[in-house]
Amino acid sequence: MTKAENFLPLKTNWFHILLSLAGGEQHGYGIMQEVLERTGRKVRLWPATLYGSLKRLIEAGLIEESSERPAVEFDDARRRYYRLTRLGRRVLDAESERLQELVHILQAKRGMETT
Amino acid sequence: MPTIAMRLYRRLARAFPHEFQIVYGTDVIQLGEDVVDDVYRQHGVFGLLRLIVDIAVRVPVEYLAEMRRDLAYAFRTLWKSRGFAAVGIISLGLGIGVTATSATQFFTMILKDLPGARDPDRLAMIGAASYPYFEHYRDQHDLFAGAAAFKSAVPFNISLQGATAKAERIFGQVVSPEYLSVLGVTPERGRLFDAEIDKPGEAPVVFITDRFWRSRMNADPEAVGRTIRVNGQTATIIGIGPKDFLGVVPIMSAEIFVPTTAPASMVPELSGDIVHKNEKAFGALVRLAPGVSISSAEAGADALTRQWDEETLDPARNVKGRRVQLIPAGKILPIPREMIPVMYGFTAVLNGLIIAIACMNLANMQLARAAARRREVAIRLSMGASRFRLIRQLLTESVLLALAGGAAGLAFAYWATNELSKMRLPAAIPIHLDMHPDWHVLATTLLLSMVAGLGFGLAPALASTRTELASTLKEGNVAQMRGYRRFGMRNVLMVCQVAGSLTLLLIAGFMVLGFQKTNKVDVSFDGRNMVLFAVDPVRDGYSSDRVANLFDNLRDRLKTVSGVRDIVVSEATPFSAQLGGSVLSAPGEAGMSDQVVRGVARNIIGANFFAAIDVSMLEGREFDDRDQRLDPAKTPGKSIALPAIINETAARAFFGSRDPMGRRISETGKSYEVIGVVKDLSAPMSQTSTGQQVSAVPVLYLPLTRSDFASPPLGGMTVIVRMNGQGGPASAADVMQGVRREVAAVDPNLAIFNLRTLAEDVDDATSYLRISSVIYGGIGTFGLILAATGLAGVTAYSVARRRKEIGIRMALGARKGQVLRLVLREGGALVAIGSVLGLAAAFGISRGLSALTNMFGQAFGASAHDPRLVFGAPLLLAGLAMLACYLPARKSTQIDPLKALREE
Repeated sequence: MTKAENFLPLKTNWFHILLSLAGGEQHGYGIMQEVLERTGRKVRLWPATLYGSLKRLIEAGLIEESSERPAVEFDDARRRYYRLTRLGRRVLDAESERLQELVHILQAKRGMETT
Repeated sequence: MPTIAMRLYRRLARAFPHEFQIVYGTDVIQLGEDVVDDVYRQHGVFGLLRLIVDIAVRVPVEYLAEMRRDLAYAFRTLWKSRGFAAVGIISLGLGIGVTATSATQFFTMILKDLPGARDPDRLAMIGAASYPYFEHYRDQHDLFAGAAAFKSAVPFNISLQGATAKAERIFGQVVSPEYLSVLGVTPERGRLFDAEIDKPGEAPVVFITDRFWRSRMNADPEAVGRTIRVNGQTATIIGIGPKDFLGVVPIMSAEIFVPTTAPASMVPELSGDIVHKNEKAFGALVRLAPGVSISSAEAGADALTRQWDEETLDPARNVKGRRVQLIPAGKILPIPREMIPVMYGFTAVLNGLIIAIACMNLANMQLARAAARRREVAIRLSMGASRFRLIRQLLTESVLLALAGGAAGLAFAYWATNELSKMRLPAAIPIHLDMHPDWHVLATTLLLSMVAGLGFGLAPALASTRTELASTLKEGNVAQMRGYRRFGMRNVLMVCQVAGSLTLLLIAGFMVLGFQKTNKVDVSFDGRNMVLFAVDPVRDGYSSDRVANLFDNLRDRLKTVSGVRDIVVSEATPFSAQLGGSVLSAPGEAGMSDQVVRGVARNIIGANFFAAIDVSMLEGREFDDRDQRLDPAKTPGKSIALPAIINETAARAFFGSRDPMGRRISETGKSYEVIGVVKDLSAPMSQTSTGQQVSAVPVLYLPLTRSDFASPPLGGMTVIVRMNGQGGPASAADVMQGVRREVAAVDPNLAIFNLRTLAEDVDDATSYLRISSVIYGGIGTFGLILAATGLAGVTAYSVARRRKEIGIRMALGARKGQVLRLVLREGGALVAIGSVLGLAAAFGISRGLSALTNMFGQAFGASAHDPRLVFGAPLLLAGLAMLACYLPARKSTQIDPLKALREE
């Protein structure tokens, strides 16, 4: 089994994509929109880069193409949908933990300063 | 605005690699269309630009990713068939390595500019000229922008003032004061020679090289202005040359430059007022005047020289042809212009053959592999891989293989040039050849590998991907490849390979045998029974009168050493290379014109020289002690004729069928009387003045006289010690010890150098030949091995191809022998055709090369009809080839008919 730690720290693009897929499967446009909204329109994944990253995430086994389609009214038949694999989920968790730890360390240092 | 951007965007999106496009192409375009308006609204034109740049960057990135994957895949497949890869890399590596080595040699010697000189392409030299002639040349401003006289490879005994260490013997040049400025040298420190260098009352000046300054003076910052002792006299260092500057002709590297204004007491080479004599003791270096080509300068100089020759009554004035030859001097090795195409030609032919054979081998192996991989290719094609993609994949493999071969070749070239640089050439002066593959060679090698990889990978790749899927998948590995039957590419390749290797083998063989035959040293006694050593008393501070006494004394003392039979003091050593550079003439009889002979070698020898080497005179007598006491410088008038001995070739050249005894031979101001004739002594590596190797050089032997003691040759004076009876190495060592003891007893300060036995001497002289024999032999063997592996591959392929047919034949009752013959017949036909073509090519090429230069002509002429080669080489190749066919063919007899038929 591939170790999730091998992928840490995650590249920013990868992290954003994985984060967007954490809520469920999504197509390229959806991922881009979600990242835009989440970051207050500051981070834009440009199309070619986005698909390049998706391709590499699939090769790394972190995401996969989904064969299930969402409910008919939301389905955009022209687009491919992607979802996290089990490994992708673990990598995302590991990255979140890593960031959390960093935040904790920072907080602890701040706490020491104020006391 | 957004529409224009989208048009560009779409075009770029379609440029993605095929694989990426299939999966993501439409999505990328779709997404671009979805966001373009939004982007324009948020970021304006800048946003659109980002959009385009983003995709423009990703396209090459995706290509690189594909390439990396191809490479990884290629690496894996090659790793899986390591045997194939190893053979490919080794054969291509050897091919490229040999080529890179000779390319390195070529670049270093012929193409590299003379270090330290300004505008070296405008430099040229005249090999031999007298000082007055050089002064004439210097005045021809319409031809030459400048001229200088130089004498290269002059030994000097140097000691640094104050240092207690003994004097060291180093080599330098005696040059006219213009020399450094004609070369355009910029001094690292100090200054060049100028008009004021010979102020009366001041010490002579010398110019040293950067190498001398660093290695012998520890880069002393105060070096300029310091005095050193040169041949026992004080001299002042005036300047230090730029890095790597070693004078003109840097392979005979000079460490120190002494101007011709220096006193003869310091430079024995300048004794006898040589700068005013019409004696060709110098080389002339010229810088061509602006706009003057080397050939027009040569024509001009030739006409003038002819005129001066008439005025000075030069004995060679009636010779036809060019009187002077301008050799380009701006390169490491000055090579006459007409020799350059010869060297290009020979190098190109030999290397071209080697590379071609290696590449053909590779192509053949690729074809065999492609045949074996047809199933894999068919499966991948049927799964939807594009043909372009597969070709790219196969090409990546062959390029990878070729590059690995190139790397191996380069490693080989580094090793080989290193070994070659270490090689000591048989010469009295240290020949310095620093060879390392430079960027020229790197680029050539890289290019060669790429071409080999692409060129010889393309055809197999195309062939193996052009296939009928259904039949291939059904038939499996044994399927026929289209167009690969009787006159298929593999067979043509095979014939070429056999022909090419036979050509290579024969030419290499011609060279080796020819050189061996023309350079055989024929000594009638055991070479270990003769000890040679050299001393150079003049440079140890002796005057010429004292030198003569010293040698008399030395001869008497050495005769008392036990085991010694003869002692000869001589300038020339026996069986050494004869460099024919003199032009002499024999006065014609009764109205006949003078018989002028060019390319005569002159040997100054002591009394009893021929007796010591067991050579009896054909006619007359040899020199004795009385001849050795002659002193032409002190004899009034020019009527005296020195006695001379000539060899048979010289006798024929000067006198034809007439009896040479008592006849005269003359050159400018000198006349000789023939007192004896000897047979031609073998002299390996002999040359005439034109640089062409000849088997027999006319030799004029002159007696060692008192004036010769004053200006000893490069190698010093040689003392030849002939020992009694069957000595062997042990007694030679004893004699050597006795020699050292006696010389020390005469003068402890006299330095002995080059102490060796005659056997060692001859060995050294022919070492170059042995090395080239090994090299050419190696090249021949290499071709042979490649051809054999290629044949084995082809036969194995053909056996595999005909598996079913053989199965049927055997099922119908064919015997093993019959099947074997069937398979061998095909290989045999290829070998036969190849051999005929190869023989023809070898003879054609050797004819061509012989026509180009006498050097090859001699070697090829001596060996081209040697039955060992003409019959041996094809037989050897055919034998090996048939063995290479037989091994895989034997497999055919082991085919189980039932299995072969059931296979489909």
